[in-house]
Amino acid sequence: MLEVADRPTSHDDVSTTNSGKGTIALNAVNHWVPHDIVMRDTWFPVAHNYSVTGKPVRRAVYSHPIFLWRENGVVVASENHPNEKVVGEKSQYTDARGRYPVMEHYGVVWVWFGNPLAADPVHLPSLPFLPPKGGLPRHMTSTVRFECAAPISLENLIDLTHADFLHADVVGDERSDSETVETFFDSETVTMVRTCTNKSVAPVMKFFSGIKQPTQNVRQVIRIYLRSHCAIAYGRFTPGDDVPLFHPCTPETRDRTRMEMVMNTTNSDLLFRHVMPKAGYKVSRQDSYMTSPQSPRYMRDTDRKDLHSKFDQAGQRYRMAMMELADRQAKGDFAYRDNVSADCSEIIGLRKELFQF
Amino acid sequence: MSLNQDAWWAVARSEEVTSEKPLSVDIGDQPVVLWRDNQGIARAMEDRCPHRRAPLSLGCVRDNGWIQCGYHGWSFDGETGRLKEIPNMKDQQRFPPVYKANAFGVTEQAGLVRVCLNPNVAAPLVAARRYDYCGTANVSLTHREYLNALYDDPSLLFSIRGVHFTSYLMAELHEEDGKLVMERSCQWAGMHWPAHFVAEFPLTLLTKTDPVTGETELLLRDDEFRSLFHAVLAPVPSARGVTAVRWRASQGARYPGLRGALLRGINPLTVFSSVNGTKLRTTKPSVSMNGEDLREAIMEGAQPSPGQTAAA
Repeated sequence: MLEVADRPTSHDDVSTTNSGKGTIALNAVNHWVPHDIVMRDTWFPVAHNYSVTGKPVRRAVYSHPIFLWRENGVVVASENHPNEKVVGEKSQYTDARGRYPVMEHYGVVWVWFGNPLAADPVHLPSLPFLPPKGGLPRHMTSTVRFECAAPISLENLIDLTHADFLHADVVGDERSDSETVETFFDSETVTMVRTCTNKSVAPVMKFFSGIKQPTQNVRQVIRIYLRSHCAIAYGRFTPGDDVPLFHPCTPETRDRTRMEMVMNTTNSDLLFRHVMPKAGYKVSRQDSYMTSPQSPRYMRDTDRKDLHSKFDQAGQRYRMAMMELADRQAKGDFAYRDNVSADCSEIIGLRKELFQF
Repeated sequence: MSLNQDAWWAVARSEEVTSEKPLSVDIGDQPVVLWRDNQGIARAMEDRCPHRRAPLSLGCVRDNGWIQCGYHGWSFDGETGRLKEIPNMKDQQRFPPVYKANAFGVTEQAGLVRVCLNPNVAAPLVAARRYDYCGTANVSLTHREYLNALYDDPSLLFSIRGVHFTSYLMAELHEEDGKLVMERSCQWAGMHWPAHFVAEFPLTLLTKTDPVTGETELLLRDDEFRSLFHAVLAPVPSARGVTAVRWRASQGARYPGLRGALLRGINPLTVFSSVNGTKLRTTKPSVSMNGEDLREAIMEGAQPSPGQTAAA
C-alpha cells in the first residue's frame, strides 16, 4: 500500500529538485489532470495503411486536422483538404506546404506532431511483434474509440487488476495462487510486468483455443511509450497462446481517443486467431463503461487525493513520468533522452522465435 | 448551487433501493449511490470510488452487503464508508482509516429513502402512512423554479384526474409549524362556470411545503372538509439543473357519484416529466413573488411579519 493518500499537501509540489534534475514528487500523482497534458515532437499512429487511398480521409491529433491520402502510392498528410480554400495561417506543425511529416511502418500510418524539422524515424516506438512493412491480415486490426482522455485509457491499461473485474468473461477472474507486479521505466517509457501463477483460465482461451486446464500461468506486459501514447500489451499464457497487441491511444481531442489496434495472432490456431482480435470490440466497450464517466472527473485538479494500492505502482509511475515529460516540454525541452526505437523484445519478454519477419 | 448539508432529501422510493443493483441519484451536484445491505438497511455513499473515481453505482452489491466498485473491485462498508477489501490483495486486507469513501446519513420512512449529506444530523420522524400509488419524474427545471411553479400554478407540474386547479386561493402562502402552507380553490373538471364567476368552490388543494427541501404534502378536500386524496411530492435538486421528483399518493374518503369514481379509479395523479415552456413563461409570478422571502425567513428562524405573506 502506498501511503500517499494522507500526506500533507505541502508534499504536493509538482516540481522538486533531485540530484539537480527536475522530477515530479510522488504525491503529485494526486494532482493528475490528464486533459492538460499535450505531448508533441512524436509520431502518432493515425490510420491503418489500408485506410489511406487516393481519396482523402480525415484524422485529428489534439483537434488539429490531418488529411491523409496517397499521391502515386505515397502517403501525404496535410492540415488542409485538397479541395479546401486555405485561409489564415498554417500551423507550426507543418511545412511550408501545410504538410505534416508522415511515414508508414508496421502497417500503420504515423504522423509527426511537433517541430517538422525534428521528425526522425528513430523516434518511432519499437513494436517487435509486428512486421515492419505491415501485411498482417485485416482481421487482426480494428479501429476503436474511447470517450476519455488518452492518458486515462493508458492508465486503465497499465493497471491490469481491472481486467479481472471488467473483463473477467474474456480474460478470467482475479483468482490466482500468487501475483507480482514489477515496474520499469525511463524518461520515455513505462513498462509493467505482471506475473500470475495458476490464474483462472481466460474464458476466451477455454472456448476458442481448447485449453482444458482450469488455471494457467500468465505473464502480462504493458509497455507505454509516453509521448506517442502507444502501448504494447503482451500476454503469455501457459498453457495457452502468446497474444501481443499494439494498443495506441491517439488523442484526437483532449477527451477523445482513437485506437488503431493490431493484434498479431499469427501463431495461434485458426479459430483463436480470428476470434481473439475481435475481443477488442467487447473489451473496449467494457473499459469505456468505466473510463467514460471517469474521464470528466479528472478534468480539474482537486484537493481530494486518489487512494492507491500496491497494484497501482505502475499507474502512479505512469502519471509521474507523463507529468515529468509534460513539465520538460512546457519548458521548451523536446529532446529525447532515451531511444524509443531500440528493440524492446527483451524488455517485454517477446518469444522472438514466434515473430520472425 | 449551494445546498443545505443538514437537510434530509427524499432521493428514492423504498422499492427503488435494492440489493440487486446500486441506484444512482443526485443531491445537487453531489452524485449519490444507494443500495440495500444484507440486513435490508438502505445505505448511501458518494457515487465515486476514491481509488480511480469511477461511479460506484456501476458496480454491484455483494452478498455480505458491501458495495463493490465495478472497475477494480474495491469493496466498501456502507455504514462507515471504510474500504474493506481489495481483490488480489489476498490476506493483506487491513487498511489505514483514510481508506474510505464518504458515507451519508440515510433514513427510510413512509416509503421514501431520505439522505443527508451530513452523516451526523439526526433523522426526522415522519408519520407512517400507507400509499396506493407512487412514481418518479425528472423535470428539467431547477429546484427553485419547480417550487415557484408549484406556488403559482400547480397545473404546470401535475394533474389530478377530474380536478381543475383555479387561480384563486383560499389561503395565501403563509408559515404554519415551520412549513410554507397555502390552499388553492379547485373545481371539478368538465363543464363548469369560469372560476371568476363562481361563488363557491367545491374543492381545495392544501399544500404544505418544507422550506428547505421543498418536500410538499398535497391534500385535496371537498366542501365538507373530507380528505379525498393525499400525496407527498419530493423534489430534489439534481445534476444539470434537473429536479428529480419522487412521489407517493393515497386515496382518502369516498366521494359519491361519477366524479368520485373518476378520482378513485386507477391512479389519478400524474406528475409531469416535462413542463410546457410556453405556459411556464407566460405564468406571471404571483405567490412565488414573496414565497422566496417567506421561505428564507422561516429558515432563519425569524417570525414572519404580518405583511410577509405571499398574497395572490
